[in-house]
Amino acid sequence: MTGNLLHLVRAEWLKASTTKLLWIMVLGALGFTALNVVALILVAPEASAALLDIDALQSPEYLTSVLASASSASLFVLLLGIIAMTGEYRHMTITSTFLAAPRRGRVVLAKGVTYAVMGAAIAVISVAWCTLVAFAVLIGREHAPITAGMVGSILFGVALGLAIYAVVGVSVGALIKNQVAAIVIAILWVMLVEPLLSVFVSGIGKWLPGGALNAAMNVTTQADLTAADVLPVWGGALLLLAYAVVFATVASLTTVRRDIT
Amino acid sequence: MPPTGEPLHVVGLTKRFGSVTAVKDLSFEVSPGRVTGFLGPNGSGKTTTLRCLLGLVTPTSGSAHIGSAPYRALPDPTRMVGAALEASGFHPARTARNHLRVIATAAGLDARRVDASLETVGLTTAAGRKVGGFSLGMRQRLALAAALLGDPGALLLDEPANGLDPEGIAWLRTFLRALAAEGRTVLVSSHVLSEVRQTVDDVVIISRGELVHAGTLADLEKTATSHTTVRSPSTEALAAALRESAPHASVDPAGEGALSVLGLSPAEVGHVAFTRGIEVHELSSSAGDLERVFLELTASGNPGGAL
Repeated sequence: MTGNLLHLVRAEWLKASTTKLLWIMVLGALGFTALNVVALILVAPEASAALLDIDALQSPEYLTSVLASASSASLFVLLLGIIAMTGEYRHMTITSTFLAAPRRGRVVLAKGVTYAVMGAAIAVISVAWCTLVAFAVLIGREHAPITAGMVGSILFGVALGLAIYAVVGVSVGALIKNQVAAIVIAILWVMLVEPLLSVFVSGIGKWLPGGALNAAMNVTTQADLTAADVLPVWGGALLLLAYAVVFATVASLTTVRRDIT
Repeated sequence: MPPTGEPLHVVGLTKRFGSVTAVKDLSFEVSPGRVTGFLGPNGSGKTTTLRCLLGLVTPTSGSAHIGSAPYRALPDPTRMVGAALEASGFHPARTARNHLRVIATAAGLDARRVDASLETVGLTTAAGRKVGGFSLGMRQRLALAAALLGDPGALLLDEPANGLDPEGIAWLRTFLRALAAEGRTVLVSSHVLSEVRQTVDDVVIISRGELVHAGTLADLEKTATSHTTVRSPSTEALAAALRESAPHASVDPAGEGALSVLGLSPAEVGHVAFTRGIEVHELSSSAGDLERVFLELTASGNPGGAL
């Protein structure tokens, strides 16, 4: 039977595992998160010690926030979803995709499901990786013990947040079919537009995708200035999911429906 | 037992892209068990029509059905229709086999069909290579393999001979004939009539998005203004005899010892020569004749018009 969601999900996994994109994004995420962990352990405590006269490495909260660097894999997860979707148009594989599954909304749904799982998997890998890197960098230093409880407290949130964030990526890709445009717009939004909006329009930050992601991940990172003003976890997760569903629905009614020429 | 093909029905099909009308009120039928050539110059609307048949392009008005339903409403489209649309729809870093595995998985087809299709088109040894390094001919074969995955009753092939070497073209010809002989529906587009002339039973010719001719190739050949070249040691006597017996024909010298006869078939010229006892060395009707008729049809901008 055509349009079987399970078949389509398996096909999406096959697409991802037969090209390099997924592995490049995973490597990128691991490199970037490790950099964060190293910087937070080596650089930040010196500064805070000088300022506050405490050793941050003795604080379990600080160490938890170091492990929470795993959440900075989010940009790679977002780009993974975007590139996976727009790549179909770029390489014109969308033709054979829609020939095999003429119900186009289902294709977008299958991609969303597949990349949600990948987002969660990348989250788990990143948390484990950050813990490993933290252990390695902390060797020979005085520090509070890293506990399973710390890892457990961030694992669920990061997995939930990145799973939904990957779906946001797929939806944005479906909406903006041009790969370069979608990537540029996404990076500008994450790096520039949303931070500026959050600073200049008070109270708006928690309602934007990045704010919703932070709420869903339920982590406090040292770089997070607006950490105090976030939605509860379920609120953030639902809001982020709502962004994904709205983008995907609008895309299904407009761009995805268009003629494939 | 190969599947029987559904006929294709295009009825009053019109497709506009903005202000450009790519296809205008086009109607034709494609029968199973025959190879149909879908002919017209580049940009005449062939690809748009094929994409309408495959549910990739939504018609502005009219319909393009596989059997009795549009492609998107087929219960199991890849088992009913196979399509090779263009040689560009591949991820360059994916291998040929993986490209087919993706499609077979999405369509829920038996994984063994992948290697079977690769073997049919002669790509078994290249199956593990990345498509980015493929020649145009190899891409065409891979596109054909993708079309064959579902062992479909109907095949829609857009310019499948492009980029194939003469051997490949000969192979394709035999292959398509065999598919039609099994009872399948085979529609092959081309912008060159001579390319498909030895392959097709029926022709559908369009120009500027409109139908100019639909029928059997045999009829088209009969309709074609006969253009015969004849060589004879006594061209003057033969020319006189031809002008006398067929005043409507135009007889012109074509180099030394040859005549070009417009309006008579080789058989008719041979008959005149025979009855007058004139020696004939060569009697031929070149493929150029039909090609010229094709060009006249598509250039006339006179849809449905007589010749």
